[in-house]
Amino acid sequence: MSSIYFIALPLLFGFAVPILSRFGKNSVAYSSAIMQLALLYLAYSMISMPNSVVEVIAINPPLGISLVANKVSVAFVLLFTLLMSLFSIYYLDIRRTKPYKDENKFFILINMLLASAIGLVLSSDIFNIYVFFEIAGISAYILSAYEGSAKAYEAGIKYLITGMIASIFLVFAIALIYIHLGSLNLAVLSERFMTLPSEMKLLISMLLFIGFGFKVEIFPLNFWVTDVYEGSSTLVNGLFSSIVVKAYLFVFFHIFYLFIPSGEYGSFLVMVGAITMIVAETVALKQTNLKRIFAYSSLGQIGFIFSTLTLESSSAVTAAIFIVIAHSIAKLAIFLTITIIEHSSGSVDISTLRHIKSPFVVTIFIVAMVSLLGLPPLLGFTGKFLSLKSFAVSAEFLPLTIIIIASVIESVYYFKLVGLLLDRESERKPLPTSLIQKSILSLLILILVVVGVAPWIISPYIDQASHMMLDNSLYISTLLGAGK
Amino acid sequence: MSDIFTYLNQKEVIDSIVLIGSMALFFVGLFGLLSQKHIIKIFISISIMEISIFLLFVGSTFVKGYTAPILGDGFEKFVGMNDPIPHAMILTAIVIGMAVFALGMSFAIEYYKLTGITDIDKMREMRR
Repeated sequence: MSSIYFIALPLLFGFAVPILSRFGKNSVAYSSAIMQLALLYLAYSMISMPNSVVEVIAINPPLGISLVANKVSVAFVLLFTLLMSLFSIYYLDIRRTKPYKDENKFFILINMLLASAIGLVLSSDIFNIYVFFEIAGISAYILSAYEGSAKAYEAGIKYLITGMIASIFLVFAIALIYIHLGSLNLAVLSERFMTLPSEMKLLISMLLFIGFGFKVEIFPLNFWVTDVYEGSSTLVNGLFSSIVVKAYLFVFFHIFYLFIPSGEYGSFLVMVGAITMIVAETVALKQTNLKRIFAYSSLGQIGFIFSTLTLESSSAVTAAIFIVIAHSIAKLAIFLTITIIEHSSGSVDISTLRHIKSPFVVTIFIVAMVSLLGLPPLLGFTGKFLSLKSFAVSAEFLPLTIIIIASVIESVYYFKLVGLLLDRESERKPLPTSLIQKSILSLLILILVVVGVAPWIISPYIDQASHMMLDNSLYISTLLGAGK
Repeated sequence: MSDIFTYLNQKEVIDSIVLIGSMALFFVGLFGLLSQKHIIKIFISISIMEISIFLLFVGSTFVKGYTAPILGDGFEKFVGMNDPIPHAMILTAIVIGMAVFALGMSFAIEYYKLTGITDIDKMREMRR
């Protein structure tokens, strides 16, 4: 099975759109969804493969470009294709009542976003990572400005300026890496990076941290995030929060584990993550806009995942993958639900929650929030529990305390929202939901509940994946041994 | 006079000129990014920063006296060539940078058409 399809098919789809659009109004939308479902099937079929597969393009590594599909990257590819295909099917329903203007471009952009997120996860070459970093960036900038209002353009401009600055620092880091180490292949760099003089190592690490820090949305480089979420459309927010950030997070830690296996800057990064979490959750308390609240909540969760991953133990990585899955699914469900609310009431203020009369939407909202909060028996609990346990095992008590305080703050505003949803005294209007919307949202929530009750369905796979993510020698031998 | 040229032709001197020059350009861009308020001027400042990195990269991987690896001579002069990878990388990065710059300009123009604002400090569509 070849992993190039995950990148090639969505990009080829973009080129085929002008031809497909001649076959009728719906053909592009349906073929996009069908292609994403095909990719989902492909990703699912790759799960059972025993070993890593290295897809070599033209020349063998370390000179050529190659894509590595191992247990970790396949897990992320599966997550991204699953969420994107559910998103597409959901959009098929939305577009009957509220389509985007110039829809064909929208389909090109979401497929570009999918291809680049998968490319970031699969690449084994730091310059390729830069290219996918930029493709993901460009499609995300256009998507955030897609509505064409002044607000949307402001969000697009802010996103674009921070993205340009991030890419400058990344190119700077890549230039220094190539000048000093003479290679771009991650396996070769992993062998050579520790031989650098410590000042250069610090400089390159700082440049990489700043470059990725903007995209991973880490404090203090995340000042732009909430404005972008508020300005861009709610549907797109779901993609940003569940796919784009997760791809950047994965690639940041992929590089971090490969380059600095000794965990030198771990004590700094773990605090950065904890501070991100507590700052975001504290600011979220004062917000009254639903999109801003969940943007801050995303930042908080990302800080939590970030500090968990810096622990560099396999139990911590397992925990982080669980949180990533739980958070992506719950956030997509929440943003898709906010879309329904926004379309019926025209507002995303928290007071609109008072006037909803739809047991279905209320249930979805509450279950997703409870999972984000990490209460049993939902999937969020598994991740949070494992993560807190690995903090305690690593004896990182200061970040652990900060994270627990931040979780308490988080619960305050979540329960405020739950209180508004269940307020008995307000006047309520029924909220119409179609069958497709209902089935997609129930499917997302069902995953949270079923895997939360029975985490052993996926935990053996995730255990193997986390071992593989930390095993540098295995990665190097698979990548450099490819094609021989 | 020829002493100056021999001095300037040393690899270390060329490398330091490239380093100092490109870093000076980088800080010019950074200063522009932090001091300017006009959206288009900010984009230009960021582009200057970007170009300084490209110059640094191409300049420091260039070896004087070597040629570009264009094999038009039947593989006879395969020795003494410059590393082609940085050039290929920088060409890619220039193209990407230009595309993002153009996209940013179009956003700025559309935003101006809708609101008449070019000052980044006055961009306050969102509630704080």
